Amino acid sequence: MSAASSDGRAVSSRSAPGIAAGMSVRCDGIGFSYAEAHTPIPALRSVTFELAAGRSLALLGPSGSGKSTLLQVIKGLDTPEAGTVALDGLRPDAPGYDAARREVGLVFQTPELQLFATSAREDVAFGPRRLGRPEEEVQAAVEEAMELVGLPPEVFGGRHPYALSGGEQRRLALAGVLAMRPRLLLLDEPFVSLDPATRRELVRILVRLRSGGVTLVLATHDVDLAWALCDDLLVLDGGRVVASGPWDAGEAGRALRAAGRLREPFLVELWRRLGRDAAAAPPRTAAEAAEALR
Amino acid sequence: MKASIAQYYPGDSIVHRLDARAKFVAVATLAVALFVRDSFAGLAVFASAGVVAYGLSGVPVAWFWRAFRPLLWLIGLTFLTQLLFAPGEPFFSWWIFDFSWEGLQFAAFLSLRLLVLVLIGSVLTLTTAPLALTDGLAWLGRPLRRLRVPTDELALMVTIALRFIPTLLVELDQIMRAQRARGAEFGSGGPIRRAKALVPVLTPLFVLSFRRADELALAMEARCYQPGIVRTRLHPLRAGMPDAVLLAVTAAIVVAGLLV
Repeated sequence: MSAASSDGRAVSSRSAPGIAAGMSVRCDGIGFSYAEAHTPIPALRSVTFELAAGRSLALLGPSGSGKSTLLQVIKGLDTPEAGTVALDGLRPDAPGYDAARREVGLVFQTPELQLFATSAREDVAFGPRRLGRPEEEVQAAVEEAMELVGLPPEVFGGRHPYALSGGEQRRLALAGVLAMRPRLLLLDEPFVSLDPATRRELVRILVRLRSGGVTLVLATHDVDLAWALCDDLLVLDGGRVVASGPWDAGEAGRALRAAGRLREPFLVELWRRLGRDAAAAPPRTAAEAAEALR
Repeated sequence: MKASIAQYYPGDSIVHRLDARAKFVAVATLAVALFVRDSFAGLAVFASAGVVAYGLSGVPVAWFWRAFRPLLWLIGLTFLTQLLFAPGEPFFSWWIFDFSWEGLQFAAFLSLRLLVLVLIGSVLTLTTAPLALTDGLAWLGRPLRRLRVPTDELALMVTIALRFIPTLLVELDQIMRAQRARGAEFGSGGPIRRAKALVPVLTPLFVLSFRRADELALAMEARCYQPGIVRTRLHPLRAGMPDAVLLAVTAAIVVAGLLV
């Protein structure tokens, strides 16, 4: 586990309640195409990157660049045609790989569309029950996950999922994945169509997960939020890796601009236009920027 | 996931270019004649008509086979039930079943008839786009409007249903993936377990479909859709000389099939 992230924020190894310690992931030459009639459409072309345990990765790229496909391949819902996904240092043929894969949580785009149970509590309990955990453990995981996403079980537990607001549904769906205690959490466009308050709430949850040590992969178009949340960067364009590695210097900003249809984070651009030294890391938040400019 | 419920094979053969209405009338007439006539000779006439039409359509055999394969079960089942339960002098008995020559003959005849029917019907569905077929049926159903049957609205319903099947299949795939990511398993265990595994899939699918239907209705209203008024079509149906020829040939085949 890395001792500190690029901007000096400590990455803690102690586990907060309901949060499991992170898992590393390493993709080696991943290739994948969608079988469409007679001509397969390539979605990923020899994608290679490495993410250390407990770090957070921003997965950026224009629509159709392969972000969602990569997440599904890491979770194992799609089998790559080429290359391997190593989890926790385990290759797919290693014993214990399946167990590691069950510790990968994937939150789909608009996950609230997948709620199905008759109560919030039951919906969150679905995942841990499928993992075959004993019932007391399931209930404990449900309580912790619901607390974590700001839906206290004593208030929301008995409510019908479809009686919740859109933002509450999104957080409930997230709780459904968190209750499985993922050590690697993959999020596909988690901020889409959220109001600012819910978005702030979700950022707060992700910050808590990260400081709890969970490894995060955040596929998003919101480059400013990604900048505030992520240590590492992986940019895809047309299924190829355009940039990857720690997200700190001006190099990453250039790669983002080069990848077409993308821009660098506002604060990075501001620092560049102000002529600040690119090697000195630009601020991650407005508060940090204000502090630096004062 | 591949969305291939419609068997339509896009093409530009002479059969493809025929008007949907003419093709439907021809197929319906042949189907009725096929069931009126009960001799192997008549069957042979209709079968060769079906084979010729299929040959003209230029649809690859593999494509036809894919659509046809599921029906083999039905035809096989028909054969078996007729063979086992048709009356006749048994030449062989086993347990409660009697096998007779009459039964064998009858079963073979019924299965062949079904086979020919499927072949002729397939030529229609393989060479006619679902939308053209719906439009054609709506046109043919026009006289029913006098009886206050809302034929155009029914046709629109079918059109919308066809349009949304691929969309729903994509959504179904997404939902199943999401539930698999949460540890759900489909296609394992006994029938009750399998049915229970579908609840997490069907609930969101229904909710989504209702929401979509609601939005579609609103969008149609916003674009001034009104039931019960005459509307023009983007692709008006046009019948011509080849369609007249088709109907004449069909009539000749029916007469031949009934007389041989």
